[in-house]
Amino acid sequence: MNKIEILPGIELKNKALWLKKEKILVISDLHLGYEEALNQRGIFIPRVIFSKIKKEIIELLKLKPKKIIILGDLKHEFAQISAQEWSDALELINLITKKAKIILIKGNHDTILGPIAKKKGLEILPFYYLDKEKIIFIHGNKITPDKELYSAKIMIIGHEHPAIELREGVKKEKYKCFLLGKWKKTKIVVVPSFLPTLGENILKEKFLSPFLKQTREDVEKFKVFVIQDKKFYDFGTIKEIRTVSK
Amino acid sequence: MMQEAIQATINELDESLDPLVKEWFYNKFGGYSLSQKFGVLNILHRKNILISAPTGGTKTLTAFLGILSYLVSLAKKNELENKIYCVYISPLKALNNDIGVNLKKPLEEICELAEKKGIKLQEIRVNVRTGDTPTKERVKMAKKSPHIFITTPESLAIVLTTKKFVDYLKSTEYFIIDEIHSLANNKRGVYLSLSIERLEELSMIPPTRIGLSATIAPLEEVAKYLVGFSKIKDKQNKTKFLPRDCVIADIQYLKKMDIKVLSPLPDMINTTSKEISYALYSLIDKLIEEHKTTLIFTNTRSATERVINNLKEMFPKNYENIDEKIGAHHSSLGKELRFSIEQRLREGKLKAVVTSTSLELGIDIGYVDLVILLGSPKAVSRALQRIGRAGHKLHDISKGRIIVLDQDDLVECAVLLKEAEEKHIDKIQIQKNCLDVLSQHILGATIQRIWSIDELFDVIRQSYCFNTLSSEDFYSVISYLSGEYSGLEKRNIYKKIWYDSETRQVGKKGMMARIIYMTNIGTIPDESSSLVVVASPQSRKDEIVGNISETFLERLKKGDVFVLGGSKYQFMYSRGMKTYVNASVSRPPTIPSWGSEMLPLSFDLAIAIQKFRRVLNEMFEKKKDDKEIKEFIEKNIHADQNSVSSIYTYFDEQYCFAKIPHENKILIERYADAEKKYVIFHTLYGRRVNEALSRAIAFAAGGGIIKRDIEIGLNDNGFFLASIRPLQIEKALSLLIENPDSMKNVLIDAIDRTEYFKRRFRHCAVRSLMILRNYKGVSKSAGRQQVGADIMLSGLQKSYNDFPILKETRREILEDAMEVENAIKILKEIKNKKIKVETIDAEFPSPFSLNLITQGYVDLMKMENKVEFLKRMHKKIKDKIKERKNE
Repeated sequence: MNKIEILPGIELKNKALWLKKEKILVISDLHLGYEEALNQRGIFIPRVIFSKIKKEIIELLKLKPKKIIILGDLKHEFAQISAQEWSDALELINLITKKAKIILIKGNHDTILGPIAKKKGLEILPFYYLDKEKIIFIHGNKITPDKELYSAKIMIIGHEHPAIELREGVKKEKYKCFLLGKWKKTKIVVVPSFLPTLGENILKEKFLSPFLKQTREDVEKFKVFVIQDKKFYDFGTIKEIRTVSK
Repeated sequence: MMQEAIQATINELDESLDPLVKEWFYNKFGGYSLSQKFGVLNILHRKNILISAPTGGTKTLTAFLGILSYLVSLAKKNELENKIYCVYISPLKALNNDIGVNLKKPLEEICELAEKKGIKLQEIRVNVRTGDTPTKERVKMAKKSPHIFITTPESLAIVLTTKKFVDYLKSTEYFIIDEIHSLANNKRGVYLSLSIERLEELSMIPPTRIGLSATIAPLEEVAKYLVGFSKIKDKQNKTKFLPRDCVIADIQYLKKMDIKVLSPLPDMINTTSKEISYALYSLIDKLIEEHKTTLIFTNTRSATERVINNLKEMFPKNYENIDEKIGAHHSSLGKELRFSIEQRLREGKLKAVVTSTSLELGIDIGYVDLVILLGSPKAVSRALQRIGRAGHKLHDISKGRIIVLDQDDLVECAVLLKEAEEKHIDKIQIQKNCLDVLSQHILGATIQRIWSIDELFDVIRQSYCFNTLSSEDFYSVISYLSGEYSGLEKRNIYKKIWYDSETRQVGKKGMMARIIYMTNIGTIPDESSSLVVVASPQSRKDEIVGNISETFLERLKKGDVFVLGGSKYQFMYSRGMKTYVNASVSRPPTIPSWGSEMLPLSFDLAIAIQKFRRVLNEMFEKKKDDKEIKEFIEKNIHADQNSVSSIYTYFDEQYCFAKIPHENKILIERYADAEKKYVIFHTLYGRRVNEALSRAIAFAAGGGIIKRDIEIGLNDNGFFLASIRPLQIEKALSLLIENPDSMKNVLIDAIDRTEYFKRRFRHCAVRSLMILRNYKGVSKSAGRQQVGADIMLSGLQKSYNDFPILKETRREILEDAMEVENAIKILKEIKNKKIKVETIDAEFPSPFSLNLITQGYVDLMKMENKVEFLKRMHKKIKDKIKERKNE
């Protein structure tokens, strides 16, 4: 019950993707330092997010993955690296490297992730490619001319922070979700943000990723999977949700 | 000690005033007004005084006459120092500018007079400082101190932190708080109460305090607010606080009023909204035509706009050159537009001005011979303040007409009128121990200087609003400001002040403190507005037509029609900061119903209406005939014929159909439509009490095994709970009745996770500077502030449930937004059988509940948790998809 296979061999685990055979865990958009960024803007919030993220990751490590792919935007700020990001990122990397190999994919917020990676002897990749399975892991903020992009059968991206807002009368609630659809002929999976608070309502906001800037009709065919309390709900396509919730 | 003022004789006054000022005064005015006879001598004798008089009662000159006399006498002797002698504080920038002008003129005249007589006078400087004052002026003031300093509560708080002004304020001899009634009942007033105590602390001479107020009650309470407490040591050397002395001059009811309630139609149930609307505007038009200048008050800004548009549409001939004859005046209009309206009003060029609240206060508006109130002003004091704007001079008769828009409105206004005649003025509520305001002020105080913590605590407790502040709450605010709540190692960024528990001193932290304070000061929350967009699915290009406030948006239901900028729109849905509407509608507007929705009915007036209901009920029960009952109504509340027959019909129908709820009887009505089961409570106690009762009962009733959301609808006259499943109301109610004091705890649980709480928390977080509206040169929209507040709230609720700002949010909701004490009082009266509760089953909602069902403000009590909601919605959506596929 605690799993759902959205593509052969690819399962959803909480806010992560789990490639069972390969023992690869995929998480995305952690945005470490989000609180500090808010502090910088004059919103003085206590720091609670990081310990939450840590707890969830420890839980996921129980799957005994060989590799953990972080699909970009490990850190939040565009500009300089903040003290909080620095220590949080190091702590997280230490935590994971004890159990699995880390693969860092570059995100648009990670412009100067370099120093952290360097300290830990990690490489930051523009994307990661599984040759045999033809699966590409990429942040999703831009389309590059790399040939892997066009030979892949499955593409796994982050960047969007997809979520869905359900309404009934005056009541509304927002839930993070995975999306499954197609870009050209490649199957595409969008992974939600791992950061507890972040999520853009897919029924309302426009997509950011160029991979999703297709015709409205095509995007409407994307399937929506919601995760909550480790349970998964298959909601059908965006179009179906839209038509029945009118 | 509070003391009633005694009238001074003309002789006494003549002798006390400086001869030059006296001569000028007689040349100009000929004689003393009543408020001058009561006030001037007391002020000259340096007694704290609260003067309550209607507009046109020459209050302001009363306050200044003695002070001018004193300053002129010093100026003659060349003894004027470079310091502030008098601080004048009013809530409105516009009023400050008026006063500035109105003081400079007399001073010029006095100077001329002196010159003629060959008397040499030092220059007496009057300066205005508000948020609008240009930097150049401010610099000038810093160089040469004004003698009379005119300012707003916010600007006063700022100058209390600037070194130059602190020097100038070191021996302030007087301060005046004008329009004190509009400050004493809100957080701005709470804020001001601390500023004046800091001013007192700063000044070597205890300043004489002068409060000027329109009609308000109880005056003693307002006087206490004005003067605060003084600290003394008793024989055991213990600190004690005693209220400072104050003289009260009550000149409230000397102005004659001619007030009537008018119904546009004899029967307001069996008519279409079009007919009502036409009758209403015909009546307004007729009244405007019959008078020289008419001031029309609506309860909301949007209604203000609509009135003008409808007049224009229905009577194009009368308002052809509309801009020349009629204008709108409300706070969301631009400054210049407002000034131009005020100017033309003073010049007598306008036939009518429509306003919401912005002309309530004492801005000079020239001669107005009629005030129309559209819909109930919801409180006797507000009615009198508004109508008092007519006939500016004290001895003029103020003529007011209240036009009612439905039966509930009619009954309410009729009773209001009677209460006004009998001088029953609703009691003001002064907010106490607001921890968000306190946080802001402590930062301000530490920017001014380093304090000993005990000294600071004492100064704070001298304020009437903080006299009962507990030391726990005080220290929890100190802990918050000094960063002790951040919990983690990097707490320095939270620190706004430092507190050394060894030396027991507090001071500001960091170079930014002053800038943060100055750019984020104030207590009025930003309300976000939502863009109104005409959706056009074809082109995917949306057309933006204007914006509406968040609170207005909250009331909109799908399909509602509202007016914006003179056009009608139908509400479809809202997403994020956008409101999507349909522009092609032919239906009349459904929202807002003459806008009285925003102002809560005062509790005292509510009780008066309940009494009226009881008396009428007795007459119906005694089978009196309609003639007798109508006569009674007419005699009792002096309403016109239309109104009398409407009230009679309304009560008669309620009596025949159901029961008449009243002072000693709460009626509960059960009713079901195809979808939901309703329980309607006829609790006419004002919406603030109903907010408390409805949420507590809904929470208690919804906590059973099946946790499903309960819809709450409420207005001033009652509330309803609605749900798909039958509601266990009796049990919930009896639990609360058995233990009325549990109400507070039940409510705290009930509101904790609501949207309502989130928004209020944002306001408190901004006031306490946890969220900075302006930081590093960038200002945040209300929407942005809310995002921050939500994250903050989820963190705080988990880790620091006793955090002072959370506590303040709860207090604000329970005590200010709701009236929890009054709600408890009612539960107690039910418990001791003073109030009976009767339940009936109804096939249709009774006449008294119609407005509630159709227009009540609706909210949701969330019982169902997020996961359950998801499960249910998932099933619902999947089922629907299946259904569609099978079709």
